[in-house]
Amino acid sequence: MIAPVSSIHDTKGLLETLPTLSLDVPDYVLLPTSNARCAKAEIFVKEGDHVYLGQLIGQRDGGFFKQPIHSSVSGTVEGYEEHYHRSGKKVSFLRVKNDHKDEWDPSLKPRSDEEIAALTRADFVKILEENAMVGLGGSSFPTYVKFNNDKKIEWILINAIECEPYITADIRLMNEELEKVIEGMKYLQIAFDCKKVLICIKKKHKSLINMYREFLRRYEGSGIEVCPVGNFYPQGWEIAMIKSALGIDVPSGHLPSEYGIANFNVSTVWGIYEAVKLNRSVVERRISVTGDGIRFPSNFRVRIGTPLPLLLEKCGGYTHPDKDKVFILGGPMMGASLPSDDCIITKTVTSVLVFDYVPQEEGPCIRCGSCVYSCPTHLEPKQIMDAVKAFDKERIKALNPLRCIECGLCSYVCTSHIRVTDYIRRAKMFAKTK
Amino acid sequence: MSFIKETSPHIHRKDSLARMLIDVLIALAPVSITALVVYGLAAFRNLSISVAVMMLSEFVFVLIMNRIPYDGTKHTLKEQFLHGCKGYRIHHALAPIVSGVIFALIMPVETDPAYIVYLALILGSLFGIVIGKLVFGGTGQNIFNPAAAGMVFAKLCFGSKYVYVSNSYVNAVTTGGTVLSNLTNTSSSLVGRYANIGDISALDMFLGRIPGVLGEGFKFAILLGLVYLLLRRAADWRVLVSYLGGYAVLMAIAGIFIVTKVTGVNFGQWMLFSLLTGGLLFGATYMLTDPVTMPINAPGRVMYGLLAAGLTVIIRLFGALPEGVAFSILLCNLAAPAFDHYTYSGNAFTKKKLIFIASMCAVFVLAICLGLGFQEAAL
Repeated sequence: MIAPVSSIHDTKGLLETLPTLSLDVPDYVLLPTSNARCAKAEIFVKEGDHVYLGQLIGQRDGGFFKQPIHSSVSGTVEGYEEHYHRSGKKVSFLRVKNDHKDEWDPSLKPRSDEEIAALTRADFVKILEENAMVGLGGSSFPTYVKFNNDKKIEWILINAIECEPYITADIRLMNEELEKVIEGMKYLQIAFDCKKVLICIKKKHKSLINMYREFLRRYEGSGIEVCPVGNFYPQGWEIAMIKSALGIDVPSGHLPSEYGIANFNVSTVWGIYEAVKLNRSVVERRISVTGDGIRFPSNFRVRIGTPLPLLLEKCGGYTHPDKDKVFILGGPMMGASLPSDDCIITKTVTSVLVFDYVPQEEGPCIRCGSCVYSCPTHLEPKQIMDAVKAFDKERIKALNPLRCIECGLCSYVCTSHIRVTDYIRRAKMFAKTK
Repeated sequence: MSFIKETSPHIHRKDSLARMLIDVLIALAPVSITALVVYGLAAFRNLSISVAVMMLSEFVFVLIMNRIPYDGTKHTLKEQFLHGCKGYRIHHALAPIVSGVIFALIMPVETDPAYIVYLALILGSLFGIVIGKLVFGGTGQNIFNPAAAGMVFAKLCFGSKYVYVSNSYVNAVTTGGTVLSNLTNTSSSLVGRYANIGDISALDMFLGRIPGVLGEGFKFAILLGLVYLLLRRAADWRVLVSYLGGYAVLMAIAGIFIVTKVTGVNFGQWMLFSLLTGGLLFGATYMLTDPVTMPINAPGRVMYGLLAAGLTVIIRLFGALPEGVAFSILLCNLAAPAFDHYTYSGNAFTKKKLIFIASMCAVFVLAICLGLGFQEAAL
């Protein structure tokens, strides 16, 4: 088929309407001491110490920024264990035993509305940094960095697109935490001193759009509006979202804030509400567990640090135990597959997907051009692949693979089932070296 | 149960190379069936010879490419053969079938003397698949369209022996040759030879009731295939639009000269004549849209179609050979990598590319005006 991909069948199905299940708080949680962005960590507690829920227990060091670690249960510290992290590497986790009392750290005081109204952008930076807010859409980029500049912001875009197929966690959050999400947006308005907030939702989620339009009538004059955007993938990519919502083209290598735009994932907005209003860090999040390898696909509210096998048990385990599986953390287009299901839920795990493994043989490329037509960054994946095969560094650099966002569309559309995205990743490595 | 580690993305569009090749075969079905009905056993013979030769060549190629790697021991021929067969995939069968059917459809039904037809078919398809495709590395690597390469080779070797048969369906409106090849005999003037084109009914041309090669006359069947290919998106519409559009516009410009200089020919007759004769529609549908031999980005494909259109028009109007389609496709195949060069390739229609497209059109228009403008009017 010689055609760009118009929209990926999103297979969200009934999961979109199924209410989120709450998973019991497990007997112990595991907190990562390092992650993809922070290699080192400093732990303030030692074995046998009692910790409160939400207490600061350590700090990860990511070079130019620090990331505090908070306990997601109250209980005692038990030591370290090795498990798989979302990034696909084995890292050391701090094990905290749960006393099932859920005592919040008494030093954390909720803020009143008057206090919040008086906050400045610098205060927000401090609050979010202390509460270790990161992009909950999966980027794990520290949120305070987006506040930590003095650029004039004219538009705040809320990314509620969830363009990856299968995942429905954000949609359920939008449905169930309506008020908190909108409160979070009002805090953003205070922080950036900017009235215009657009909630970007896919056009096909009509019920969600109608629900928000109806609910926003209560906030007349607040400047918050719903903005239906396209159904295609990768609409959730910030540059594509800005283009669809505002018509502004942000060239690659530039930040949206240079164009007066701040954008946040809807889960992050919910997290900002928790951090600003209740002065708590994120201790639980929503996760979709789905895929054809899962018996009962469902959405869950889980504590950060819950071991995944508990979640899978609640889903009824795997279907077809005799078939090999692909185990993915994140979406089917960009998520990483892990060699084991022994991993831990961190703040940035948006979903768990289990597919039956279907081996696919690569055929010869017939230059159909679907990858070229589909690329959202206007690259030519086939040409880059040829250059990588020829080890032609000059050609690779001229084709500019660093623009690639690794959305995975070139592999998705390939008529010959070639893993084109892998070649682009290698090209990026080539292009980065001098 | 174990967990397999793979790189993202983990899902895939429901599509495959085999499916795409089968689409082309389905699109070829109407023409092939019409040819079989009209020409009977001769058509079946031609189709089966060329498909068999192409499939066999590809099979031998697979055996050669999939030898047992050197490990110090000697292997028997049987082991080598079985190992080679393991590398045989479904596209190794489908791709030569497609090429073989296309090749047979653009070859004449009979020759004089009769045995030459076997020689022409076997050597032509062998040349097409081996020199046109396999020496470059097989499916996906070829520079030339195998069918076009084979057809041009056979034409150069055996062209004078071709016979265009007529039977109860096909009327011999012209004796001895195709409509296009007979033009050269009627008048030495470039415009004068079109004096009698009004005699041939457009309906006959549309239904393929004029002498010609095996398959390219049946325009109704080709159009069916074209619609199917476009619906299934197995052909890129950009090339088709730029080729057929470019051809029609350039022929319309040529038509202005023809109509003013030749009495008894009106513009509609001229346009129908140029669009419905020869292998134009067949070549556009099945040969030009072969994705392997065309540039990979949208502007490149538009330029490729335009270049092919311009060359077809120039060969038809001024060339020594009556048929321009296969030659122009082969020449454009050569130019395709030039459109893809990394220093200026890209999928966006930039201003520079639009200027280039415009200047390409200008050159072709100029060529037609210069070529036909100084021709004296025919009586």
